[in-house]
Amino acid sequence: MTGRFFYVIYKEFIHILRDPRTLAVMFLMPIMQLVLLGYAMTTDVDHIPTIVLDQDLTSQSRALIKAYQASNYFDINRYAPAEEELRRLIDKGEYRAGLIIPSGYGSNLEAQQNAQVSFVIDGSDPTVARTAFAAAQTVAQSHSLELAGQRIGLSLETLPGVQVHTRIWYNPEMKSVNFMIPGLLALILQFMTTLFTSLAIVREREQGTIEQLMVTPITPPELILGKIVPYVAIAFFDLAEVLIVGVFWFGVPIHGSVTLLLAISTLFLLTTLGLGILISTIARTQQEAMYLSFFTLLPSIFLSGFLFPVEAMPTALQAVSYLIPLRYMSTVASGIILKGVGLRVLAREVMAIAAFGIVIVALAARRFRKRLE
Amino acid sequence: MIRRTLAITRKEIIHIIRDPRSLSIMFLMPVIQLILLGYTATTDVEHLSTAVLDQDRSTQSRELVDAYRASSYFDILYYVSSEEELGQLIDQGDAKAGIIIPTGYGRDLTGDNEASIAFVIDGSLPSVASTAFSAAHTVAQAQSTALIERLYNVDVEAQAGVDVRPRVWYNPDMKSANFMIPGLIAMILQVQSTLLTTLSIAREKEEGTIEQLIVTPLRSLELILGKVIPYVAVSLFNLMEVLIIGVLWFGVPIHGSVLLLLALGVLALLVSLGIGLLGSTVAQTQQEAIFLMFFLMLPFIFLSGFFFPLEATPKVLQWISYLIPLRYLLVITRGIILKGVGLTILWEQALALLGFAVAMLALATSRFRKQL
Repeated sequence: MTGRFFYVIYKEFIHILRDPRTLAVMFLMPIMQLVLLGYAMTTDVDHIPTIVLDQDLTSQSRALIKAYQASNYFDINRYAPAEEELRRLIDKGEYRAGLIIPSGYGSNLEAQQNAQVSFVIDGSDPTVARTAFAAAQTVAQSHSLELAGQRIGLSLETLPGVQVHTRIWYNPEMKSVNFMIPGLLALILQFMTTLFTSLAIVREREQGTIEQLMVTPITPPELILGKIVPYVAIAFFDLAEVLIVGVFWFGVPIHGSVTLLLAISTLFLLTTLGLGILISTIARTQQEAMYLSFFTLLPSIFLSGFLFPVEAMPTALQAVSYLIPLRYMSTVASGIILKGVGLRVLAREVMAIAAFGIVIVALAARRFRKRLE
Repeated sequence: MIRRTLAITRKEIIHIIRDPRSLSIMFLMPVIQLILLGYTATTDVEHLSTAVLDQDRSTQSRELVDAYRASSYFDILYYVSSEEELGQLIDQGDAKAGIIIPTGYGRDLTGDNEASIAFVIDGSLPSVASTAFSAAHTVAQAQSTALIERLYNVDVEAQAGVDVRPRVWYNPDMKSANFMIPGLIAMILQVQSTLLTTLSIAREKEEGTIEQLIVTPLRSLELILGKVIPYVAVSLFNLMEVLIIGVLWFGVPIHGSVLLLLALGVLALLVSLGIGLLGSTVAQTQQEAIFLMFFLMLPFIFLSGFFFPLEATPKVLQWISYLIPLRYLLVITRGIILKGVGLTILWEQALALLGFAVAMLALATSRFRKQL
């Protein structure tokens, strides 16, 4: 058996090597994803471009603008002469927020009355808008307190109160890239293996070469294993690549055991390879295989918590997310890399990954054999 | 010329219809994307599962826990008796935050002192962590203010101060579906049609049928047009599909002109077709075409502002983003649908798309002709 099995691997490697462009994509894609996600994916919003319409022009209004500027949330570098201009620039998307201080603001404050200001926020991106909304109010609140303190002659620091010492565990700087890398590792494992396995098998079928292989003494398990092994090797290579770039370029610390991560990744490959084989039994053309791979990939990406927190989703979708193997693998990867936890804490996830693997491989093997007969 | 073009179109439509599975996926994919994005794309986290370690057990400490509970950001699900237990809950991911109130908290507060508590946050998800971080401080601040009011018998609210009235324009409820659906429309126009065009030409190449087509009296322009028209139709259909579901199911309001949206959508389709054709001159096989498109689409998606605001990315990536047509298209679809603006505001973006369309199509046809 071993000799024939290695021939299939050899043949598949020749296929891969003959197509250097695809090979380059296979190795470059993870790096590109990593760089893009590492740099572009950031949900911490600050320096929101803000335009100011100061109709008051007093020292009080200038103090308020200064307070907003000092908050780091808002970048103020332009003053609008009229409300229409402010509207036009926000319409154009050049500014995402606008502070309007009406005339009488300063005199109201001097008369010990409440002084109103308007704060316009472009709500089209809710993440930015929510931050801007909260920040607009917080800044005004602390500015009010400061004003009140000045009047009464009290300094805020000397008052009693609750002091919160926040400790951020696992990712103290709340860097997005630290969160991305474990998720990306899991995603690459799934993406590379499912798509490539299904494409490799379907290509043989589309070109009719699978029949030629079937009339040789190669048995179906040998054929499948032989075709899969090169892609498993590539997936592990990509995984190592992402880990190395993550650690050395982005400075992501690995707190747990790399061996354990590799072991559980191998277990997870059962699921993704099984899925690839399953797709290859359904799809007749490479195009169909690609579509079906996408079809499984999309819910995986969105429901695994890779991009958006599962906790924020509707309950029904949260329930569906338990059926997504990637969810467990993401938890495992971030648990090992960021939290440094071991098997004891991750037992549930590992069990789920094993169960998915067994079920999907069994299903795929059955369907594959039936198709050949 | 029209007759020959239409003949190719007919042939391509037959190809598409003969493969009902791909066809149904073509139409289902946008709906699935829509549902996934419409419901999952939100970082607005509330009700974080929280564990409390109350070592003080005083009225004051209970009051603080109640204040956290009432904030809707934290669901107090666990009371633990040791720091190890708290650590384990957070390690397992069962709790995302932990409040530790040390002994002496109540005594410190009644003694007019600062009282400290520790707030542990699981930082592995930065978006969740930053919300929890600011919520932890806001609640404590409110608690402090209430304390001062009681102590000094003053009403802080009644004090003169700055009263901010935030007005949220365009998307007053700050719903993420309103943000994602215009984006998805742009994405479909750009990504799907590019992919389909490249694949359909790469398939002819892989199967060798393109040579058969070349020996016919067809001119290359007719061949390209004929092959591309069905995919333009599919993309426009998908656009309508997403628009209708967006409006009727997700309640996205369309503030601007649908006609303008369609017109600029067609312009964007020309860009996609140009990129698709260009891709097909590079890729020899379907597999190559698929990977090439993946490779292109990644920066498209992440550097266009589709998911994350561009302002937050490093300057170099912001410059690169100017080379990505999807960036302009996103401003257009969001501008028309959410802001209700017209060409007077969007002319720069429309011009950029036009430039891309001309450049891409010219480049693609010249390369395509040379290859033939």
